[in-house]
Amino acid sequence: MSLGIADRPATRPFGGAAWRRALTTALHCVLALLGIAIVVQTLVVVEARPQDLITGVHGMADLIWRAVPPDFSKLPSAAWPTLQTVDIALFGTIVGVIIAVPLALLAAANMTPSRYAYYAARAIIGFTRAVPDLVWALLFVTAVGLGPFPGGLALGVHSVGMLGRLFAETIEQMDMAPIHALQLTGARRIQVFSHGIIPTVLPSLLGISLYRLDENIRSSLVLGFVGAGGIGFQLLTAMNLFQYQEVSLLLIIIFVVVLGAERISAALRERLA
Amino acid sequence: MLRVRGLSLRYPSGKLALSDFQLTVAAGELVVVLGGNGSGKSTLLRCITRTLKPSAGEVWLGETDLCALEGEKLRRARLELAMIWQHASLVRRSSVLANVATGALGRHSTLRTMFGGLPAAELDAARGHLGEVGLADLADQRAGTLSGGQAQRVAIARSLAQRPRVLLADEPVASLDPEAAEDIMRLLQRLARSERIAVLCVLHQVELAYAYADRVIGIRGGRIAFDLPRSQVSREAVHRLYIHEAA
Repeated sequence: MSLGIADRPATRPFGGAAWRRALTTALHCVLALLGIAIVVQTLVVVEARPQDLITGVHGMADLIWRAVPPDFSKLPSAAWPTLQTVDIALFGTIVGVIIAVPLALLAAANMTPSRYAYYAARAIIGFTRAVPDLVWALLFVTAVGLGPFPGGLALGVHSVGMLGRLFAETIEQMDMAPIHALQLTGARRIQVFSHGIIPTVLPSLLGISLYRLDENIRSSLVLGFVGAGGIGFQLLTAMNLFQYQEVSLLLIIIFVVVLGAERISAALRERLA
Repeated sequence: MLRVRGLSLRYPSGKLALSDFQLTVAAGELVVVLGGNGSGKSTLLRCITRTLKPSAGEVWLGETDLCALEGEKLRRARLELAMIWQHASLVRRSSVLANVATGALGRHSTLRTMFGGLPAAELDAARGHLGEVGLADLADQRAGTLSGGQAQRVAIARSLAQRPRVLLADEPVASLDPEAAEDIMRLLQRLARSERIAVLCVLHQVELAYAYADRVIGIRGGRIAFDLPRSQVSREAVHRLYIHEAA
């Protein structure tokens, strides 16, 4: 005897909603296990040994003990490398801005004159950004020798990528209505750029450039470690010669320069907003 | 001054947006275009400015057919054709004066205007145009600080800096309060008369059309429903424009 429609159970004992709940729970379990596995593999790969950190505290304390008081008699000799460090960052930022602005115009979907120019500009921006500034510095040290110049070049090329991308995004997000209005007045392409696009995006571009300068000052310290001049190079030399009191002085100078650059950059960006 | 002959536009989808459109706007005349949403009013203006390329027809600006031109020749011909929109479309961070003066950019070489500059004579003229729209005292203020009505006046002053023979206005009062809307329409009417500019204005406010237009053109489904002097346009004919579009 077959069951009529009315005789069939209203719901299945293990219906669609229950299946979905079970599947969701299983998926959550898998995701949790995956998260744990990722954390564990990082501990294994970096060979994490917290006990070494505890036993090594003595060594660190000894280093700090030998670094105080800072050797302020070295202050005059640190002035020039400090200026070099700031100027490497300035040079790199200026080079980056000069190249990034036209590149960003080509890489902005709303401004680019052709699809090919768009992809070419995006490729250049992507490549210069993807290669770390340290690698660029090593390349330029090989090409032009030791000193601040390769450092400036490395920061310049890397900044092209970073600034180019942010500039392009700023241009893509700007209000296009005034630009179209200018085009319809009969203004030429460059006139639209100088009287419409620049006044609209200039504050944002300046803000991004100042932020990049702040980043570049920090980067230029590190570049000194690979021979690209500046206070980083002096810090490396002092560490190699076990001159820890000079090291502590240089670290204080670095702290003041980085903090000062950050505050000035933030204040200027606030004024531009 | 402005003559449109047999203007048609068919979109790639096959939809006919404008069909065999004819109109003439004489110097000093203010013509208002009325029609429902999607009737083809804005499309008409975009075809006249050649922002959209018509499928067929001619747009005569004086003795020049804009539809026959491309590139630099079209840019030069368009210098005499100014346009304002619902939103003033000003460069918000530039001064009011700088915004007005940009209307004159197309007449000057790229080199001369490259670094944000313009000849002193153009800046003086821009001050004069600001005076014409009643905003001379706001010349040095940032455009971003203006009210909607003030911004629209600046946009009109910018169009005057173009020294246009034809002014197209696409719903120029749509975002303004009634008083500001009346002000703008009075201004357009006065400029049409005093500067001998042919003004073609798309509106949704029927009462403003009755108050300020010399002639009213009704559009329905991309075709002209009527083209009559203001005094001969019946309320019923206008009403039919919108009923048809809603149906």
